[in-house]
Amino acid sequence: MRPGGRRRPPSAAAPSAAAAPSAAGTLVGVLLVAVLALAACGGGPDQGGIVLTFPGSAVGAEARVLRTQLDRFMAAHPGIRVEQRVTPDAADQRHQLYVQWLNARAPEPDILQLDVIWTPEFAAAGWILPIDSLGADAAPFFPNTVRANRWRGHLYALPWFVDMGLLYWRTDLMDRPPDTFAQLARVAERAQREDSVRYGFVWQGARYEGLVTVFLEHLGGFGGRIMDDSGHITVDSDAGIRALTYMRDAVWKEGIVPRAALTWQEEQTRFAFQNGEAAFMRNWPYAYPLMEDTAGSGVAGRFAAATMPAGPGGEATSALGGSELAINANTRHPQAALELLRFLTAPRQMIERARVVGEYPTRRDLYEGDTLRGLLPIPPARARELIEHAVPRPVTPVYSQLSSLLQIQLHRALTRQADPRQALETAARQMRGLLARVGLAPGDSSGRAPGDTADPAERNRG
Amino acid sequence: MAERRGLEARERRLGYELVVPALGVILLVALFPLAWTAWESLHLHDLRMPWRGHPFVGLANYAEALQDGRFWAAMGHTAFFTAATVGLELVLGLVLALAMNRAFRGRGLVRAAVLLPWAVPTVVAALLWRFMFGTQGGIANVLLSKLGLVDASFVWFIHERAAWVPVILADVWKMTPFVALLLLAGLQNIDPALYEAARIDGAGAWERFRYVTLPLLKPAILVTLVFRTLDAFRVFDLVYVLTGGGPGTATEPIALYTFDALLRDLRFGYGSALSMIIFLVTFGLAVLYIRGLGLDLTGEGG
Repeated sequence: MRPGGRRRPPSAAAPSAAAAPSAAGTLVGVLLVAVLALAACGGGPDQGGIVLTFPGSAVGAEARVLRTQLDRFMAAHPGIRVEQRVTPDAADQRHQLYVQWLNARAPEPDILQLDVIWTPEFAAAGWILPIDSLGADAAPFFPNTVRANRWRGHLYALPWFVDMGLLYWRTDLMDRPPDTFAQLARVAERAQREDSVRYGFVWQGARYEGLVTVFLEHLGGFGGRIMDDSGHITVDSDAGIRALTYMRDAVWKEGIVPRAALTWQEEQTRFAFQNGEAAFMRNWPYAYPLMEDTAGSGVAGRFAAATMPAGPGGEATSALGGSELAINANTRHPQAALELLRFLTAPRQMIERARVVGEYPTRRDLYEGDTLRGLLPIPPARARELIEHAVPRPVTPVYSQLSSLLQIQLHRALTRQADPRQALETAARQMRGLLARVGLAPGDSSGRAPGDTADPAERNRG
Repeated sequence: MAERRGLEARERRLGYELVVPALGVILLVALFPLAWTAWESLHLHDLRMPWRGHPFVGLANYAEALQDGRFWAAMGHTAFFTAATVGLELVLGLVLALAMNRAFRGRGLVRAAVLLPWAVPTVVAALLWRFMFGTQGGIANVLLSKLGLVDASFVWFIHERAAWVPVILADVWKMTPFVALLLLAGLQNIDPALYEAARIDGAGAWERFRYVTLPLLKPAILVTLVFRTLDAFRVFDLVYVLTGGGPGTATEPIALYTFDALLRDLRFGYGSALSMIIFLVTFGLAVLYIRGLGLDLTGEGG
């Protein structure tokens, strides 16, 4: 399962944690002494020996800014120490590691850094705490980022930073971005014909999570959804078939999307666009600063980002990505962990992350006024609009499995092994079958439905 | 008489005692994991859905597999891959072995050189072939478009049939040397006097091959077949790197589907059932082959 959220240049993912264990060892030793000393003095169970573990990246600017912020937190909370636990940057591997730890009921790490599509899975499994019961407040955050972190009426994670699907367009080839998919196709075709741009439009068409986000954006544009609010699978609606047909025809009929894109992920599309080979690209915000770098980019100063276009019957839709912070259900220090969550999602830390690593804050009010001006490539007012257009992927504990089923059928239709209707009907049938099998079908009250432990009253709402 | 029987019994006991450690190791590293997997395959165990518990479900996982279209498709792909690669490798390997069996200068060097592809790690070989069949400047497209066979921008990995071409070529390229080596060993066991006798009897090159080489090479061919079939049936890394099983699941072998169920979906019960099915099929194939082999050995070699 690849959440398709953030994809950094490969160099940033190289692990260099060789020095960490010994340092951690020393730290543990020092702490042990400190705790023993405290116990000997008869110090009560106040904040005196709380150690929190926080998993995160080990390298680069990301690791440095996190270190700075954790140090700042410790300075403000002398009774709490935060230790970093190095985890892989690759989402798949991190997910697997988390599942191993949490299945073993390990109390560490106390904090978990989740991809946006994992929260319901971890909540339903009982692996993370409902943090609203501890007193966390979701009001300052964008409502769509909060929606992705709720399960059965409870809040399970705080949004740390947000990602959204963007339409990158070339300012030297057109005056303004297209509003509709039909317009996009026309402009792309013209650019290929008259401006000798090799490709009209590039997106992520390989069989992986990224394909689902691209499809979700087309689907929303045509007025469809993968799953409705009551949990029914609606991906095989007419809108779905129109959206998938549009995508397939863009590849095989109009030829604006290269066939090779059916094997591409984020980076291949970025290379094509920054080499000046494409008029449009669908990608995440991470690509923006990289393409503004004149050293490696041929389109610096000649592109901008907009929302994806809308089709007939729908509205402009971006896929919502991003990272969330949750608390391990087996933590020994839930309140201290919540303190850390609040601290990391406080305005000061968010602004700092925006400045240092270019991540978009999840607090709405930061986009008003001048706080963020000049810190991010997209101006705050515009960024806010783009974020508000972002739609979470289906919020369900089995999202990854549903996505797997959908990816296969989408790819079959796009590679012309099945027609769009047939492919989506197969996907929908399999997805409904899966929901029924695991007791998550809409209206299913049999058996022990996930997430019940927190509040029995919630049962009747679903 | 009685004393001798006692000696035999003692020797037999000593024999058993001597094999106990070996049996113990086999039990620990082979039978125990197998039994564990078999036991797990009778349970519902979805690591990502702990709320479903870990109940005993009998053969439900197997029943699900038998009704699973993706499972049958994967079995079909595996059978196709096995037949295609093993067939090609046997024919090409035999040609290579016959060529290497002749006396010529530098034979030792050629034999070593031929083995090279086999020595390359599978993942590396798969990556090489992926680059060769890549769209942007892949050598396959450059050559084939010069010959007018495909368009220079042809994308191999998005066609359900064309995607097999690099997969099968890569396996044949990599494994033919291994087959050739096994067959060469078989060829060298054939007494040259038999060829002389055949020649004196007036047999031509084809007759000598058909009536001397082939029958006497049969045991070696069968050994090769066992090795290669069982290997090909469990193909994983090559496909994982080259096509990822795509487009869609058009090139997905059963081992890759099992990997997906076990390590991506973390469905340990269902994944274990799939593993058991792979085991049973390869085991069945092995038994079939060994029976065939045994008969042939007693019939011809003995």
